[in-house]
Amino acid sequence: MTTTSTAAGAVKANTETATDRQSGRPRKRRSDRARAEARLGWWLAGPAFFLMLAVTLYPILQAVYDSLFRYRLTAPDDRAFVGLNNYAVVLSDPVFWQATLITVLITVVTVLVEVVLGFALALVMHRAIKQLRGLLRTVILVPYGIITVVSAFAWFYMFDINSGFVNSWFSWVPGINADLNWFASQGTSLFVIIASEVWKTTPFISLLLLAGLAQVSGDLEEAAQVDGASWWQRLQRVVLPNMKAAIMVAVLFRALDAFRIFDNVFIMTNGANGTQVLSLLAYRTSIGRLEIGLGSAISVLLFLCVILICFVAIKLFKVDLSSTRGEK
Amino acid sequence: MSTHLTTKQKIWWAVGTVLVLVYALFPTASIVATSFKLPSELQLGTFLPQTWSFDNYTQILSPDGAAQQLFLSALRNSIGISLIATAIAVVLATFAAYAIARLDFPGKKLILTSALAVSIFPAISIVTPLFNLWRAIGLYDTWLGLIIPYLSLTLPISIWTLAAFFRQIPWELEQAAQVDGATTWQAFRKAIIPLAAPGVFTTALIAFFIAWNDFVYGISLTSSDAARPVPAALAFFTGASQFQEPTGAISAAAVVVTVPVVVLVVLFQRQIVSGLTQGAVKG
Amino acid sequence: MGKRSRWIAATLAVVLGGSLAACGSATGPPVLTWFINPDAGGQAVIAEDCTAKSGGAYRIDVSTLPRDASSQREQLARRLAANDSGIDLMSLDPPFIAELAEPGFLAPVPADVAERVSQNVVKGALAGATWRDELVAVPFWANTQLLWYRKSVAEKAGLDMSKPVTWDQLIDVARTSNVDLAVQGAKAESLTVWINALIESAGGQIITDQGVRASEVKLGLTSPAGEEAAKIIGTIGKEGLGGPGLPTADENASLTLFQSDSGSFMVNWPFVWSAMNAAVEAGTLDASFLKDVGWTMYPRTSADKPSAPPYGGINLGVGAFSKNVDLAYQAAECIVTPEHQAEYFVTNGNPASNTTAYDDPAVQKAFPMATLIRDSLQASAPRPQTPYYNEVSLGLQETWHPPSAVDPATTPQVATDLITAVLAGDRLL
Repeated sequence: MTTTSTAAGAVKANTETATDRQSGRPRKRRSDRARAEARLGWWLAGPAFFLMLAVTLYPILQAVYDSLFRYRLTAPDDRAFVGLNNYAVVLSDPVFWQATLITVLITVVTVLVEVVLGFALALVMHRAIKQLRGLLRTVILVPYGIITVVSAFAWFYMFDINSGFVNSWFSWVPGINADLNWFASQGTSLFVIIASEVWKTTPFISLLLLAGLAQVSGDLEEAAQVDGASWWQRLQRVVLPNMKAAIMVAVLFRALDAFRIFDNVFIMTNGANGTQVLSLLAYRTSIGRLEIGLGSAISVLLFLCVILICFVAIKLFKVDLSSTRGEK
Repeated sequence: MSTHLTTKQKIWWAVGTVLVLVYALFPTASIVATSFKLPSELQLGTFLPQTWSFDNYTQILSPDGAAQQLFLSALRNSIGISLIATAIAVVLATFAAYAIARLDFPGKKLILTSALAVSIFPAISIVTPLFNLWRAIGLYDTWLGLIIPYLSLTLPISIWTLAAFFRQIPWELEQAAQVDGATTWQAFRKAIIPLAAPGVFTTALIAFFIAWNDFVYGISLTSSDAARPVPAALAFFTGASQFQEPTGAISAAAVVVTVPVVVLVVLFQRQIVSGLTQGAVKG
Repeated sequence: MGKRSRWIAATLAVVLGGSLAACGSATGPPVLTWFINPDAGGQAVIAEDCTAKSGGAYRIDVSTLPRDASSQREQLARRLAANDSGIDLMSLDPPFIAELAEPGFLAPVPADVAERVSQNVVKGALAGATWRDELVAVPFWANTQLLWYRKSVAEKAGLDMSKPVTWDQLIDVARTSNVDLAVQGAKAESLTVWINALIESAGGQIITDQGVRASEVKLGLTSPAGEEAAKIIGTIGKEGLGGPGLPTADENASLTLFQSDSGSFMVNWPFVWSAMNAAVEAGTLDASFLKDVGWTMYPRTSADKPSAPPYGGINLGVGAFSKNVDLAYQAAECIVTPEHQAEYFVTNGNPASNTTAYDDPAVQKAFPMATLIRDSLQASAPRPQTPYYNEVSLGLQETWHPPSAVDPATTPQVATDLITAVLAGDRLL
């Protein structure tokens, strides 16, 4: 959720730079004034900046260091430097690759579904008549505000073979009957996990897309309408191209967020039936088994994956993160 | 769009609205319904309880309830820790955002990029070293031990959102007020604070939601009701006996912690939406 | 600016000071913190009673641990690894005791205390509190699984329940009468409990040689006993004899299944008796159902060998970093008196580890099967004791789940390979 929220900033930054610079000051006595301003700027922004770095940069460096040791908390005397051996163990283990595969699968499916669903929701909200607009936005914020763990339990109890009602409600669907145990096999477990994740995070993506929709010029659309373009043609030719930047940024941030999925899996299956994801594997290794060395190695690899996704998105898909700059 | 709707359009809107309502509220309604079921009704496979019972709520709220101690202390921890983490983040971010929006200094871009980078950071990657450090310096299972990592969640979003808000403030008003004879402080208080306050409030709301939602730090860095927050406590709930499924109690607790969210969302819908999509939605 | 940074500093100081102040303790007798596993409130009652009886020597505060055994272990191990002086007493699940005893996380039991708390204690509980031939924890309550059955179902199937029954017989009844066996097939500690009981009942052992280091542990899964266990679990899984809920069934789900229309036989802890009685009282279970419930010794794996029922329960450990080790052992002795055990048995349904508690008329009245529980405890076999129990148990759960995929020809070998590699540090779990 953190990432997605910051994405909002990224989406809008484009529009802002114009208003930003209007209060341009005279450029006289530049050096003195610039120096004073720079000092003031860092005095103001410094605490937040350094605190932010301290709580993330230091731990990740420590994790890199820890990952070079064989170190188990309940056998502290057995600690020994093993170089890159932990990485060799992790990277040669099918468990790791299986978790990576599942994580990627969840990420891709979740993001795809969310973009489509989120876009539909955004369209409804965008076009909604005034009387409905407030209501729609309010209800859409409910899943956004709900704790992920609560969402996980809600979905889990709906589908659970003992306390759920889905089996009896949907018994007319081929394959669903009273004896279907959703959390006993991979496909069905993943389905519910993804459903919960989608339900909880789509509202945010739809608000981002709504913001993108608002940027599409109404004149342009009306002109297209006058020219006789159908609704679908307008969507394809006018709306979507103008929203490309918003969509790409939203997708990137949601993908990074989904890649770190943990809460839903932990609550619903705790990794059973091949639903283990990378975050859970890291958690179970370092916190559950207290294998600090191995767990740190997985953590570092997870971190590298996130960076890789970012890199690919920016270089390959040209997601314009420079639009997130605060100036110029 | 035009305000005159044809009957067909009206029907479409009705259908669309109902669909959105069902989408957004159904899972919530489902856990509300579960929270009123007696243990014996859980297996019936119905959506609504047959008899509406408050047993589950007594269990988590009444002084002799089995899960009362666990739940109420978790609630206290969650509220306290999230509020403090939000307050610190918003205060620091206000200064930072003010500087970013109003001043010209080298490193602005660096600060914003870092905020972005921190916000994509996988919490699980830093939880192990934090756990190790915390146990060494005695911060494990304390409020402060959670407040500090929560700052990595609340600070970036606060900086971003506030910077966006502050950029829209017409700062000329301040100068105008000063020209009119107000002192610097008066000008700031009369002209700027009323404009900045809603942004700060909205940011605080969003940051609070994020801290409130945390699970990874909550289960990893706590081990007792001294600091365990609600999401972690939910996962550790117990039924009336060792092996009893705590379905009812968890549902009731989930409802209790969801009610404030719903209230905040209803009250501040406009602010939250504008905060989340700041700058893009005009007006 | 200075003004502003001072203000920040002041805010931080208030915040930090506030949270630190919360740690300061009130005046009064030393407070012992007892980390308890969740129960129906019985341990809290005992804590109050012992506080009162101590005459102001100490006060016991309870702090509740998570619900499942492995999360409890996780929490405690993490705190103890942090040299936490805030842990005085712990309710420990026996299989995890070795892991905490080996690195010296448990304060040594004084010889006189060890002697007193070992008297009249059932064998299984003593074994579960012992590591490397020394008592490292104080036996508190002891758990064992019985075979619970619906008399009507057994009668219809023509099964003589006065004689020991075997898993094969149960499987036959489930097949022919179209009923479900209530066993715990969820990927959790309860699965290890089942596997261990099956293997021990067949005369085998999961761990045959302890070794000194992790890499020296020898496993006994690839043995006739291991294959027999795999055959039973695999058959129940593949033929759906445990109902559709089997792959996610924990103890409570088993009870639910047992009470449903397809219920027949169930292996489970005695808490189910309290739970069923409570359900009747609450009006959610028909009173006539109780009359149909019978109980007997855990099923045999092979017809000619007495079964080795699962052993569980809770022993009390004293934290090595506690500031009040002596007081904590005094408190532990008070907690585990036969009177407290009997009372706890009656009120919370958790059986005593001390045999004299079973003579209490209240126990006999609340648990008509009390004598059977005691006998079952004497015959029970603990899960493998090793500092690496967590890895062994997780490795088993990884390879023996779902039950339908268990194959006697391959599963024991796969499990052995995985656990051995994990212990050697070559594989993840």
